[in-house]
Amino acid sequence: MLKPKQMSRAVIVGHKDIMEATVEAIHGSNLFHLEDYNEDGSGLKLGRPFKNAGEVSKKLIQLRSISSFLGVKKESIPKQKETTVINELDSMLDQLDIEVSNKTEKKSELDSRLKELEALKKDISPFSAIPIDMELYHNYESIKVFAGTVKENIGSAVSQVTSTYEMEYDQSTGTVVLFVKKEDEAKISEILSNFEFREIRIPEISGTPSTLIADITREEEGIQKQITSLETDISSIKDKYSEFILASEELLTIEAEKAEAPVKIATSEHTFIIDGWIPDDQFATLERTIESATNGRAFVSKQKITNADTDIIPIEYDNPKITQPFQEIMDLYARPKYKEIDPTSLIFISFPLFYGMILGDIGYALILLALALGIKKMVKSDAVKPLMNVLIYCQISTLIFGVLYGEFLGFPLASLHTDHGIIPGLIAGFETITLFNSPVGGEVITYPIHRTHIVMTMIIATALIGSIHVNCGYVVGFINERRNHGFAAAMFEKGSWLVVELGIILGVLGYANIAPTEIIGIIVFLIGFVMLIKGEGAQGIVELPSLLSNALSYTRLIAVGLSSIYIASTVNLIAFEMILPQGGIVAVIGAIIVFIFGHALNTVLSIIAPGLHALRLQYVEFFGKFYEGGGRKYNPFGYIRKYTEE
Amino acid sequence: MVDAAAAVVYMDPAGLKAIGAGLAVGLTGLASGIAERDIGSAAIGAMAENESLFGKGLILTVIPETIVIFGLVVALLIS
Repeated sequence: MLKPKQMSRAVIVGHKDIMEATVEAIHGSNLFHLEDYNEDGSGLKLGRPFKNAGEVSKKLIQLRSISSFLGVKKESIPKQKETTVINELDSMLDQLDIEVSNKTEKKSELDSRLKELEALKKDISPFSAIPIDMELYHNYESIKVFAGTVKENIGSAVSQVTSTYEMEYDQSTGTVVLFVKKEDEAKISEILSNFEFREIRIPEISGTPSTLIADITREEEGIQKQITSLETDISSIKDKYSEFILASEELLTIEAEKAEAPVKIATSEHTFIIDGWIPDDQFATLERTIESATNGRAFVSKQKITNADTDIIPIEYDNPKITQPFQEIMDLYARPKYKEIDPTSLIFISFPLFYGMILGDIGYALILLALALGIKKMVKSDAVKPLMNVLIYCQISTLIFGVLYGEFLGFPLASLHTDHGIIPGLIAGFETITLFNSPVGGEVITYPIHRTHIVMTMIIATALIGSIHVNCGYVVGFINERRNHGFAAAMFEKGSWLVVELGIILGVLGYANIAPTEIIGIIVFLIGFVMLIKGEGAQGIVELPSLLSNALSYTRLIAVGLSSIYIASTVNLIAFEMILPQGGIVAVIGAIIVFIFGHALNTVLSIIAPGLHALRLQYVEFFGKFYEGGGRKYNPFGYIRKYTEE
Repeated sequence: MVDAAAAVVYMDPAGLKAIGAGLAVGLTGLASGIAERDIGSAAIGAMAENESLFGKGLILTVIPETIVIFGLVVALLIS
């Protein structure tokens, strides 16, 4: 539970004749973490892909391009028989290819025609109000045609220069077409330039603009219809073939993985050597599988794990199911190394504990619990599920602390008698019970615990919890260190901290006249200090004040919680004591809106703030004491089938 | 003429406490913000290169968060 899974290094050796069968067997078992071979001048060379590799990857690319064109989505389908899919694969793929490539060609043709028409329409549209056949703009010997836009009617200006002209002017768009004699061209263009004339290209086409535009619009509509019917065809093809596409893509991926495998394997002229890792308890299974696949012709052997290997051993978690969601939180930081303690089970306790201590509100716990359960049910994604499970654990802890604190959406549940009068609770008749006096700040511990009234006590209590948590970190660090470097190193590096702390405690007790241990405390502290310098060097002295700052850092357990309570009670105050007493239906609606939005905001903050702070206490304060991390993920060579079965 | 010592007497101690608490939270909040700004942008940059750095980036970003927590604790102690 506190260790990663035990691994064995396995080496499989055999003749090249049985390489394919061996790879097939390993891939099928999905247990063996293949170690890539790097050519190191020992004479062994990387293998070549199997013969079918080229063909398989060609088909795979073809299939994937079809799949992306059709937009096939990953969905759950009934599992297909592998043999049926393989038998159909070639013919279906050809058929699919023909159908789809027809459609793609046609669709791209229609698309490009649509674009052309659009461009033409844009060219013609300035002339739309001018009833002249487009053909009549071109091919003159003695007439010059001007077509463009001007800022105002130029008719009078032109008539001053020449009387022999023909002009059409469209007031609304400012388009002007002007037919003049060639010899007047220079003068006219001068006038035009005074009117900010901008030439428009005249499209080479025949027919009057208005009929042309009507024709184009009609054609466009026709094309749109064709595209729509094509799209229906495509989606029907997609529906018809999506099961086949998903299943065959999976099969081809598997085949491609197998076919490419030899490029990771060391080979000589006639033999191959597969090197890798396997969970210790599965070694026998692997041995059996390979033996039956190759009639015992391949030699499987277990290698001794050397010290140099420990850094590259792939790590597979070995945790009970209930703590497994927290592996996700471990992965977010780093996987443990092989010889380290896997702290998943430790944060399974401390993370929800801290989260609950910070939030501690029945109302938010119930809302977030419902939310987490809902998301877990709706979303099937494998990435979301563990996070939702973590959230659920956290909410259970929040619920327990909510009952302890007696809080519901920022309202106290029990009424409290203070020096300033009675603070009413949400539940009538539920009185706060006084338990005992707190040793600090003249505060009184009650049930339910009113966090806002015993701040001093809570600050000290959280700092104490922090000290305990940090010391757990040192103990785990001690165990790790002892396992890797022996007792002496562990004692100097991690044990010294505990000795220093003991010295400080004894010294403080003596200083406060509780016990006559002042001198002993100082001596113990100095011993611990010397051990620390021996264990960690100058760095130890620099880090000494972190004992205090780390413990104080846990005061966030109360500080962040208080800020959450204050936001909630401010929302309640605005809604029920400032808006509601105004009277009238508007005030009621206003109060409800403020209440809902305020608490919705605080609910979101209730995931982020306690979550991040609880996480940080694990990562920085706790892990900092012992955790190294950086193990490789155990990634067995194989495939988990979703759409097919053998 | 108003005596300076007499003027101090007229200051409301509760008000001064509130100002002190406000300064403690406000200034430490600014300090955390300034510290987290640089770390956060660097962490986002690192994450863009390599998504698996999310955990490390998050931790490094929230380290200065302690400053404002201390401010909050001091404010609670004052008031």
